[in-house]
Amino acid sequence: MSSSDVKSVLLIGGSGFLGLHLIQQFSELKPQPQIHVFDVRPLPDRISKQFTFDPSTITFHQGDLTSPADVRKAIETSGATIVVHSASPMHGNSQEIYEKVNVKGTKNLLTVAKQCRVKAVVYTSSAGVIFNGQDIHNADETWPIPEVPMDGYNETKAIAEEMVLSANDPENDFLTIALRPAGIFGPGDRQLVPGLRQVAKLGQSKFQIGDNNNLFDWTYAGNVADAHVLAAQKLLNPTTAALVSGETFFITNDTPTYFWALARTVWKADGHIDKRVIVLNRPMAIAAGYLSQFFSKLLGKEPGLTPFRVKIVCAYRYHNISKAKELLGYQPRVDIEEGIRRTLAWMDEGL
Amino acid sequence: MGKVAELLSHPLELKAALKLKFLRKPLFPDVVIEESADLTRCHELLKLTSRSFAAVIMELHPELRNAVMLFYLVLRALDTVEDDMTIDPKIKIPVLREFDSKLDLPSWYFDGNGPNEKDRAVLVDFPCILNELHKLKPEYQRVIKEITGKMGNGMADYILDENFNLNGLQTVADYDLYCHYVAGLVGDGLTQMLVLAGFGSNDLYDENVHLYEDMGLFLQKTNIIRDYAEDLADGRSFWPKEIWSLYAEKLSDFAKPENTQQGLYCINHLVLNAMTHIESVLHYLASIHEQSSFQFCAIPQVMAIATLSLVFANPKVMHENVKIRKGTTCYLILKSRTLRGCVEIFQYYLRDIKKRLTVEDPSYLKLNIQISKIEQYIESMYQEQLPLGVKPQETLIYKKVLDRTEYDSKVAVIEEDEEFKFNLGFTMFLTFIAAVYFYSK
Repeated sequence: MSSSDVKSVLLIGGSGFLGLHLIQQFSELKPQPQIHVFDVRPLPDRISKQFTFDPSTITFHQGDLTSPADVRKAIETSGATIVVHSASPMHGNSQEIYEKVNVKGTKNLLTVAKQCRVKAVVYTSSAGVIFNGQDIHNADETWPIPEVPMDGYNETKAIAEEMVLSANDPENDFLTIALRPAGIFGPGDRQLVPGLRQVAKLGQSKFQIGDNNNLFDWTYAGNVADAHVLAAQKLLNPTTAALVSGETFFITNDTPTYFWALARTVWKADGHIDKRVIVLNRPMAIAAGYLSQFFSKLLGKEPGLTPFRVKIVCAYRYHNISKAKELLGYQPRVDIEEGIRRTLAWMDEGL
Repeated sequence: MGKVAELLSHPLELKAALKLKFLRKPLFPDVVIEESADLTRCHELLKLTSRSFAAVIMELHPELRNAVMLFYLVLRALDTVEDDMTIDPKIKIPVLREFDSKLDLPSWYFDGNGPNEKDRAVLVDFPCILNELHKLKPEYQRVIKEITGKMGNGMADYILDENFNLNGLQTVADYDLYCHYVAGLVGDGLTQMLVLAGFGSNDLYDENVHLYEDMGLFLQKTNIIRDYAEDLADGRSFWPKEIWSLYAEKLSDFAKPENTQQGLYCINHLVLNAMTHIESVLHYLASIHEQSSFQFCAIPQVMAIATLSLVFANPKVMHENVKIRKGTTCYLILKSRTLRGCVEIFQYYLRDIKKRLTVEDPSYLKLNIQISKIEQYIESMYQEQLPLGVKPQETLIYKKVLDRTEYDSKVAVIEEDEEFKFNLGFTMFLTFIAAVYFYSK
């Protein structure tokens, strides 16, 4: 057993979407480390067939991330040297929840982990931290975090990331790293692919917003989890730790693609191909978004099209992951096509 | 549609054709080379075998002009032996295998081609070629000999390869290897010469980086896709079975009307395969400093991407040899003088392909991803969309593009001059027409 072997890992938010993929990737390590999960909600009763890990080998710790006692207990009983923090509320929650989990929770975790002499913390940040609505062309980690954030979610993620990075303290043997995945999808995903399926079901897939020249990153959750395992290993290995600790890394599938090409691929995999596509250009779609927002408000319904959503689907948002490839040795193992196939297979399980 | 009508319906191309014909000046007009009788004959042979290629070669820097011309003629001679079905293999194989050693002889010729072989003069008058070849710098001679040896043996191997002759190319790896012999090697030789002349960055001919291989393969694969009907009529084919077998039982099935759709999917799959070379092509072009060499390398590449877009999803490919318009060629020749122009040409045709791609196509996502990948690469070449305060990444390609941009700006001056003269000429022409009209009333 070499020094970079992960012996015991504590996965904060391990019951969530990315959490299950983290369990999977850590469980594939040889020798398999002890895997502990800390979450507010228990592990799902039924695990998708897309996962092969044995749930009985996982130790579960229920608790509140903002409670020092809960976190301390989990770290101490697990004896974990590595903590992976991927707990994050879904987009669409209230500012209060974002603050609580992303800011207070992360702060609490860092304090307790350091007190408990944990060696390293791997934090799941988000590529959204550099997004403020402006186009992002092939961004690397030198891009600044905008002064005015896109929304409360990205704002709190950026604050948490900053806390994580500044907690990096090699002299006291406490190392941190932040990974910034972009557009995570995969089995367990509640947003990207299911959202698209919903659009097709409502018969809205024949509308295309924007000219479809904007590149977009989608990242398979299993690949994101891979990057976390690599980050943990690099932090535990004394020869590589100095290169990666205190650093951020964009994580993508390294295949940015046109937004609508991905959407149509999902619909096609579902057996749905539109014979004719109606293209709404960006300014027109934004105007339509305002109208839709206005009338939905009158009718007291949730608007389908909003100016915000139009801007999101028309923006260029793709990243350069040379740093992760070079320093973490990261390579996406599951390509987009296979990723979509697995996601749809999971959805068809009806879990 | 007649040529004139074709030009008139594409005004930008008409403009390009007029500019090319009347306004563009050669890069080395004042170089007078003492011509021997042998050299004159070589020029004639060059024009005889390829009119378009002759024009580009004659524009090359004097340092490389003859070397490239003779390289071309020697390979053309080799090809003429290989291609001629009237030559008995017992004679043909040894000639191909020993062709490189003939280059050392003071004089040698071959009279064994059939009377109908249109390029037989190249072999009959081979002594003229040899005389001029021996005047070249020894290092250029060495390159020509090395590549001739490899290519001659490669050709002989393919002639003897029963499986290849009977069943064509099997895997994509076979396809790449075949293209290596017929085109990759040419790129190899030309690149060695460019680097020897000091016209490209030194890493262009590197043991580990085979960018020239992609230059050759991109051209060759585009031709192979386009030539489907012509090759089939000649009873041969170079589409790899690994790809076409996904869409048909027999390669010839695509020519039947009921299989057109499958044929189109197959073409598009082959286009996808050819596109994998584009990033290296752009990298290669960014590495060339000398302007005439840049144009020499860029013209075939931009014509290839235009052709690739023409064959994409084009049912005509199944029945005839499609060709890009003459006017398009003029436009491309003028625009490809700068790296920026080349990049814009590639981007234009890639987006055009993307626009015509249908969701039903089995390669739909892969083509989208491949085109995106090239777009991302182009972004990394220029890095012009960075937010305030972010410095460009000083990658190898970025630095090369930056260097190349300096050379581009010199061409821009020439382009502006041409544009000015064109506008002046055009205004005079209009005034003249107006005057004639006015007085004739």
